[in-house]
Amino acid sequence: MFLAAGCGGDDSGSAHTLTIAVNAPFSKTPYVGETIARGVELGVAVAGPIDTKDGTVELRVKRLDNALSPRQAIANVRRAVADEAVAIVDEGTGVDGSWRIAGDAQIPICITYQGGMGLVDVEQRPNVFRIAPTDRGIAFRLAEYLIPKGLRVAILTDDSSYGDEGRAALEQSFGSNPEAVAIKLRLPADAPDLAPQVLRARRAGATALLVWARPTTIANVLTAARSRRWSIPIYTPPSGADPLVRQQLADQPRWVDGLTFASGRMTAELGPQAWQSFESLFVSRYGPDAIGVKTSEGLEVVQPPEYAMYAYDFVSVLAEGLRQAGTEDREALLAALNEVTVGGANGDERGFNLHNHEGVVDDDVYFARFEDMTFAPVKDDPLSSTLPAIKQTR
Amino acid sequence: MSAFATTGGAVRDAVHDMRRSWTATRWLAIGGVTLAALVPVRLPGSVRLDGLAETGYLALAAVGLGFAVGIGGMPSIAQGAFVGVGAICAAHLIGSGWAGPLAALVGAAAAALGGMAVGLAVVRFRAVYVAAATWIATWLFALALEAFPTLSGGSRGLVVPPRWSPTVHYELALALVMVAMLAHGALAHSSFGLTLRAAAQRPAAAAALGARAARLRLQAFAGAAAVGGLAGGFAVQLVGVADPSAYGPSLSFRLLVAVLVGGAATALGPTGGVVALGAISLVADVFGRVSGSETARFGPMLAALLLLGVLAFGGEGIVAAITRRIPSRARSSETAAAAASPTHGSVEARGLAKRFGGVVALDSFELDVPPGRIVALIGPNGSGKTTALRLLAGTLRPDAGAVRLDGADVTTEPTTRRVQRGLVRTIQSNAVFPDLTALENAIVGASLRRRYGGAVRALLATPKARREARAVRAGALDVLRTVGLSHRVYHVAESLTVTEQRLLMVASALATGPRVLLLDEPSAGSAASDLARLVDVLETLRENGLAVLVVEHNLRLVRTVAEEVVVLDAGRRLAAGSPDEIASDSAVRSAYLGRRGRR
Repeated sequence: MFLAAGCGGDDSGSAHTLTIAVNAPFSKTPYVGETIARGVELGVAVAGPIDTKDGTVELRVKRLDNALSPRQAIANVRRAVADEAVAIVDEGTGVDGSWRIAGDAQIPICITYQGGMGLVDVEQRPNVFRIAPTDRGIAFRLAEYLIPKGLRVAILTDDSSYGDEGRAALEQSFGSNPEAVAIKLRLPADAPDLAPQVLRARRAGATALLVWARPTTIANVLTAARSRRWSIPIYTPPSGADPLVRQQLADQPRWVDGLTFASGRMTAELGPQAWQSFESLFVSRYGPDAIGVKTSEGLEVVQPPEYAMYAYDFVSVLAEGLRQAGTEDREALLAALNEVTVGGANGDERGFNLHNHEGVVDDDVYFARFEDMTFAPVKDDPLSSTLPAIKQTR
Repeated sequence: MSAFATTGGAVRDAVHDMRRSWTATRWLAIGGVTLAALVPVRLPGSVRLDGLAETGYLALAAVGLGFAVGIGGMPSIAQGAFVGVGAICAAHLIGSGWAGPLAALVGAAAAALGGMAVGLAVVRFRAVYVAAATWIATWLFALALEAFPTLSGGSRGLVVPPRWSPTVHYELALALVMVAMLAHGALAHSSFGLTLRAAAQRPAAAAALGARAARLRLQAFAGAAAVGGLAGGFAVQLVGVADPSAYGPSLSFRLLVAVLVGGAATALGPTGGVVALGAISLVADVFGRVSGSETARFGPMLAALLLLGVLAFGGEGIVAAITRRIPSRARSSETAAAAASPTHGSVEARGLAKRFGGVVALDSFELDVPPGRIVALIGPNGSGKTTALRLLAGTLRPDAGAVRLDGADVTTEPTTRRVQRGLVRTIQSNAVFPDLTALENAIVGASLRRRYGGAVRALLATPKARREARAVRAGALDVLRTVGLSHRVYHVAESLTVTEQRLLMVASALATGPRVLLLDEPSAGSAASDLARLVDVLETLRENGLAVLVVEHNLRLVRTVAEEVVVLDAGRRLAAGSPDEIASDSAVRSAYLGRRGRR
């Protein structure tokens, strides 16, 4: 087993084929892993061969499963370095340890899922970029949205790295309004029965639950609350939109109704056309991402390729960086990544500079609410109310 | 000048010892290590050195686990937790600015402390309960890591910036594995290791010889934990993060599987097991790619099949099965020590009584066994003979009465102390240590009296320890000669005949250097034709001045060797006298012989 960790294939047939490693939890949260990998693969297909002064470069994708383990994630980055990868598209696990290893080899890491506050630091980690909503942005938008409603929020986070990062961000965003917080609880990520914790929140006088956790935990919280006929509003970060939540509650679809999540917007001010063309490109390559649940009218629910969009956008930035650098040299490429800007899949501009490695601005966070297994932007938030609903059935 | 001469002599002795024990297997091992050390120079393109270094640290933890499993007979499923203790401790210290090697050593010490704590709870358990208890301990550790994220780093782990290159880690891991394997080999063949193996095979017999099995097992368990902690402390500096999820039950189970697959009893076994599991993983990967299936399932499945195969073929492990087929150099004859000077002692029982609930097992028992005499204790089944022997040996505490050894009251002293004083017993069942050779069985008996036979001295092979080991070995050969087993010295005990095994039990007892010998049915299971051998041995012991108490059913043997016979019936002394007097005693005839005759 460990011996296998020592072996990595190098089946590159051409000196000008460059590898993009996708370091994601394919085995533990397959939806996240798959959507990131597909976004990268689609980006590579669209980018096609890239001309540099060293010759024509073709990109290829290598999937590495981090199983949500920092140790495995770091081992994967070592493997990517050994494979002389041109970039690593990362879900975010283990970046605290892996950025230095990639940095020594001048390899950029782009995080396209986790929004942890310390993950991206232009000064300390110049090779780490992110195209995904930040936890800070989501947490502040949640506070901005919930506190004026006069709710007493129970903040429930699980003990995964995702939950821990969210807890830190929420503590900052709700820090100046402690009266809005009824209780803070840390949930065991793998516990199937969260009734004790949910009932504790109820006893604490909570009038809303804010659950920052992995999808399974969110589904378990919904089960614990709704099965006790507690119709409290429940808010989540983007993990609430993970198909796993709806799949787990497929036999109780009404329990999902009203679940509200915050995420990066899929459409820009210019309208939904850019997103729709990306979505149709994605669907033509992979087919619609049917999540296995249906609406009350019997329509099949499909998942919009939201996080694939971020991975796709990074490949666009990378390809443009390669063109601009005009060389495969990693140092030149890193420098070029600080200068390029491209049009993103949703019409927003994506790019980085020497002072900012965040590809999604905090103001782009919107809220959407589930109804009948599909979600639509809420109407009681200024940004969200301007956004169109994305079709999610077929 | 004399210091130089002493050192020179010690070095010459060491070289001589090494040359005597050198075998073809060791040449092979040196060749293998040299090739392994050169791997970084000519590394195949598909192999990554950091992965090999990580495998090396895993092998180190597995060899450490071999101390507990192979030497101590304790199938621990907690080694992964000790790896975690070392890793997390080292990660914290490195984060505070400590040097890497020092942090790893402190991590090993912390793991050893953890091993002591767990070991105190489990070393007295039978193997199956050791496995269950350590499995629970592993889960507790994993849960504690989740419950205290400030300690464990939580789901992000504790990041350790890399300081050394993978090449340095690889060579270090290789060197540490070699040292650990040498230590395993040294311990396994030392008095420490032999006593532990004996205690694992026949706890009661080892206890009767005065072995402090629990203390030795605790040392082995803590040593295993320390090596696991050292592996964790260095590995964390290679992988760059102490990831709490990596130190769960899965790692502990994988390490135990590696040890069992490779073979727990040999020094090379655990490393072989790690390599075998790694090879399985590669095969599974290829198989998965060819079949287009999920590869993650094949590795554990193939490993489980391999483990079942190993267990089905006796459980000795792959490495042991292979090395057994490598011809070893014939052993040169060894010299026994000169016969020990006669040792005189006596034991007395005064008013001994023992009840088990409402049953009186022994009441008002009186006995005198003077030096140079053989006294026989006879009686029907259930008459209290073995109870009397156990009270004399100290494995039972009397409800009343006293035991005196050479006039000194030893009633409250434990078995070990009585054996040290020169009072030793053999037990009723056939209780040789089956996997040890006859010589090793005898060495177990001699181990209690060693001054320089501890684990640390055995590891360091100090001149005093080696000198003493030679003396013990010669003494063991002498007692084997005394009981007529000189021709069976290197045969494993289980291959001996029943009579030879009974004689070997006597030899092990003699190796403790007794003055009083308590023999519980020494002729049990022996053929009538072998009785003469036993008689010869008992008479030799009497000539050497030993006081011998024999509990026996074989009245022919009793009549031949005993000067005095004590008869017990229903826990009471019925009669005492010479064999002829007892044979003609009407009370004995009616109560004992008559009862037997009625059956």
